[in-house]
Amino acid sequence: MKIPTDNAKGTLLSTGYPQTAGVHDEMTASSGVLRPHWDTFIQSLSALGDQELGRRWQTAKQRIRENGVTYNVYGDPLGMDRPWNLDAIPLMIPPSEWSQLEAGLIQRARLLNLILADLYGEQKLLRGGLIPPALVFANPGFWRPCHGVRVASNTYLHLLAVDLARGPDGDWWVISDRTQAPSGAGYSLENRIVMAETFPDLFREFQVKRLAPFFRSFRDTLLRLSPVGRDNPRVVLLTPGPYNETYFEHSYLARYLGFTLVQGGDLTVRDSRVFLKTLEGLKQVDVILRRVDDSFCDSIELRSNSYLGVAGLVEAVRAGNVTVANALGSGLIETSAFMPFFPGLCRRMLGEDLKLPTAATWWCGQSKPLGYVLDNLDFLIIKPAFPSKGMEPVFGGRLGAHERSQLIARIKECPHEFAGQELLNLSTVPVWSDEHGLSPRRVVLRVYLAAEGDSWIVIPGGLARVSPSIDTPVVSMQRGGGSKDTWVLSDGPVDTFSMQRPRDVPVDLSRGVVSDLPSRAADHVFWLGRYAERGEHLARMLRCILIRLTGQLGAADQWEWESLMQMHNCLESPHARLSKEEPQGHPDPLRDLEQEIFSRIFEEQRSDSLTAILNLAGRSAAQVRDRLPSDLLRVLSQFSSVTRGPDGQAWGYVSVGDALAVLNGCIGMLAALRGIEMENMTRGPGWHFLSIGRRLERAIHLVKLFRTIIVPLSLQTWPALEMLLEVADSSVTYRSRYFTILQPAPVLDLLMNEETNPRSLAFQAKDLCEHCWSLSSMPSGAGWPISKQKRLEEAASNLFLADVHILCEPGSGGTRKRLDELLAGLDVALPAFSNAITHAYFSHALPERTT
Amino acid sequence: MIYRVRHRTMYDYKDPVSVSHHLLRLTPRNLPGQVCRGTQISILPAPHVTTTATDYFGNTQTFFTLEEPHDSLIVEASSELEVHSATHPDFSGSAPWETVVESLVSDHSAEDLDAYQFVFDSQRVGASLELADYAREAFPAERPLLEAILDLMRKIHRDFRFDTKATEVSTPVQVFFEKRRGVCQDFAHLQIACLRSLGLPARYISGYLQTLPPPGRPRLVGADASHAWCSAWCPGAGWVDFDPTNNCVPTNGHITVAWGRDYSDVSPIHGVLLGGAKHTLEVGVDVEPIQ
Repeated sequence: MKIPTDNAKGTLLSTGYPQTAGVHDEMTASSGVLRPHWDTFIQSLSALGDQELGRRWQTAKQRIRENGVTYNVYGDPLGMDRPWNLDAIPLMIPPSEWSQLEAGLIQRARLLNLILADLYGEQKLLRGGLIPPALVFANPGFWRPCHGVRVASNTYLHLLAVDLARGPDGDWWVISDRTQAPSGAGYSLENRIVMAETFPDLFREFQVKRLAPFFRSFRDTLLRLSPVGRDNPRVVLLTPGPYNETYFEHSYLARYLGFTLVQGGDLTVRDSRVFLKTLEGLKQVDVILRRVDDSFCDSIELRSNSYLGVAGLVEAVRAGNVTVANALGSGLIETSAFMPFFPGLCRRMLGEDLKLPTAATWWCGQSKPLGYVLDNLDFLIIKPAFPSKGMEPVFGGRLGAHERSQLIARIKECPHEFAGQELLNLSTVPVWSDEHGLSPRRVVLRVYLAAEGDSWIVIPGGLARVSPSIDTPVVSMQRGGGSKDTWVLSDGPVDTFSMQRPRDVPVDLSRGVVSDLPSRAADHVFWLGRYAERGEHLARMLRCILIRLTGQLGAADQWEWESLMQMHNCLESPHARLSKEEPQGHPDPLRDLEQEIFSRIFEEQRSDSLTAILNLAGRSAAQVRDRLPSDLLRVLSQFSSVTRGPDGQAWGYVSVGDALAVLNGCIGMLAALRGIEMENMTRGPGWHFLSIGRRLERAIHLVKLFRTIIVPLSLQTWPALEMLLEVADSSVTYRSRYFTILQPAPVLDLLMNEETNPRSLAFQAKDLCEHCWSLSSMPSGAGWPISKQKRLEEAASNLFLADVHILCEPGSGGTRKRLDELLAGLDVALPAFSNAITHAYFSHALPERTT
Repeated sequence: MIYRVRHRTMYDYKDPVSVSHHLLRLTPRNLPGQVCRGTQISILPAPHVTTTATDYFGNTQTFFTLEEPHDSLIVEASSELEVHSATHPDFSGSAPWETVVESLVSDHSAEDLDAYQFVFDSQRVGASLELADYAREAFPAERPLLEAILDLMRKIHRDFRFDTKATEVSTPVQVFFEKRRGVCQDFAHLQIACLRSLGLPARYISGYLQTLPPPGRPRLVGADASHAWCSAWCPGAGWVDFDPTNNCVPTNGHITVAWGRDYSDVSPIHGVLLGGAKHTLEVGVDVEPIQ
């Protein structure tokens, strides 16, 4: 960031604000004078001074990053979790203009809802010739299984989004409708929270209408949708998952509205009812607020190759046992192709003129409009009449000759699949940066309507999106645009309701386990524990080997070399590139081992590399991010950058020193992760599963180490004992007890039997038991695999009861057979226990398939 | 003629399936020439609940869920039907095919609308210029619609071979068109696609053939499994069936179970499973005249 210097100080407009002829600017009139509702705002903002504005906005951006407000961009390797782009200047709308918009929007919601009700019911509109039948019959969004399904109070659109743009004449025009699972309302809320925190003074001064009452009403509407009118209906928000572009807002909205965030795999249909699969068993779901498109909602009756929804959902809705918002099938009218028919439909169905004009649109399924579109291709956006078919809108005027003739041929072949829309010369609005001050960008405003009773209410605000540059005619977050808060100004006092409960109203105290923890989430948490521990073990092993490669390892250090190779054997890898030959016959075994270690750290394609394992941990966490402490997520988000090598170098060119620094960094971060788990997580089932995952994983690695190092220990591999102590982080304790005497029995005693050593096997076993007990006594403990747990405890106690000295006596052939046998018992019991937990709790979290 | 139909489907799963949902379309329709006296569907293991509904196209659909782990599933539908022989429509007296294409765009009577919806692309069957070209030979200007369709059916029967190994249940029409080999589902999809490519309505019929032919007549292809053919709409005559696999216009011996835009609207059994890995499938159909 450029620090503003004193001489750059001044008003926001001192550097000028360019105007484009023929374009409506939100802030300035054509005379260059600020519009009245902007004037005082710009003055107040200028009064802050550039420096203060810069400082506040820096803090705001920090907040956005810290809150994890992200947006996923498809097809971009760096697109996952891109920080949300918010601008400091709100879009401001004066009261009189807003009330006009509001009336037009509510009328539109009523109209769209009535159209859906007709098309999924009597279809009078088709027979009456008010809607061309082809627009419905050819539309893949017309889901025939949803036809005739009764919809509670005939409300299809519980949440509707309308994109508005202002033309050069100063009027607002509708450019598109989002009818099935509109996105962005959560982002508009987050934008508002950031703005209100950053400019609390301005916010009060300008009497900005609050958003909370809108969301309260929306929440109440959903709660009332419960089909059986249950007292405490269970409402869930169904998300396609963390790889969806707007996943952040799904988890954000779910938390804000107080609903459980679920994925399709968390739900199941039994007996025509929908249930949430929790650790405590199945719990009935009454209302589903979905962010999954129609076609993906039910693999039985809708599209059969989808795993994002719930098999049998349509049947459950038909039986009246669950309400889906928006109603299944409402994507039918999410297309510009319907727009030309709205004025006529509005007059016929509501007996009034359409209040809010729609950008002029021509559906090519009729011969006159088709002719117009072909004649005026250069001045139109060509949109798919059926967006679910995947075609992107194109600008006729920007096509090359070849593309142009191709498009014309396609339109002529299948005219009903296309629509043309006039290209609006979008209005501009100022965006602020500390380098350039204010500069204009194109703007589109998305507003939301929520059903309330038999009408709709409009969000007083919405998500304003701006183009990346003034010359870009498209406004899209997918294409790098930014966003703005929208301030609807009020004449009178504003409703200051907040979704946060007022400070002076006492709530019922609640303690202990309130979980509704979906089994799938528990599964991911369990694996987060296992992967994190696996990563740490690997990092320690690799560090232990690598650190010794930096020393002068000569021929005299043959034993050390043997021991190193023994350690490396513990890492058995199907991908190892190391030659198995004797080192003498090989030109540079040291260099080979070094390269193998580097590959094991950095090579992402290797499924057993540190990078890959940490990615897996990150992925497990991403699936349950709404249930993990944000600090923990922040640590996890740093993993990918840490193992990427210094300065993004390819791993083949990394030095040993750099690699060691990476390993140390990883071990430090994994320790931070453990600290957060211990200190920042409530001791609910989730935490127990996480810890069980960790203990199991660490125990499995210890058993492996003992079997590979101590069982066959000979004079040649004696130095491996020291490495073992190092990997198990117990060198200091050992030395304080036995000084420099290195023997297998005391090493084994410390690493296997010593219950006070958190790195010992005995400690893992004891802690595992404690978690198991806590968990099995919770409501979610029903079905606990007690017999497998007993078998595990038995194998462990057999081992701990044996005399360490006797176990460490080498038998014939130099191996310690009894030790190996006892360890083998655990080697079987540990994975068996892990499988038993998976079977008891997570097996229904498996993906579905169709036949 | 009275028939008894038994349609048995057996799945064997390699690993147990913990939960499964299934949608059946196994109950034959009632039609002017076909009365279904009753259908019994038995399912093993027995589900707690089965629900029956009528789908958008008027077919009977049955939905059930198995909530206990199971490693096999047997679904058997038995129906008893009266089938009356029909007479062929007047092929050469039907309207010129172009007038039918035009009238559908402008007429919005309930019957026309019902037919019109079958003009458009569906999940599995879409129009294409290539298929329009292929079909055009049978559709010279002003030829009576039904006569042209009959000719198209003959042409398909001549150009394509019945081969149970060539395609799978999910093979697209385009692949069949290139390979020139496939099963009744492919034949039906192709003829539907050809008609739609010319702007004509056509629908997909799933059903059965009599297992043993009447004395002196050859056994028809597809008699030991469920069969499929297509139906075309003609003003005045209504829906007329064409069986391109056997090159015939069914008069009796074709039993209609369900119709829709293509296979995906009417598949006899469609399931979603949790677990189960791989499975083997065995289907047996028996259609015998009992009177």
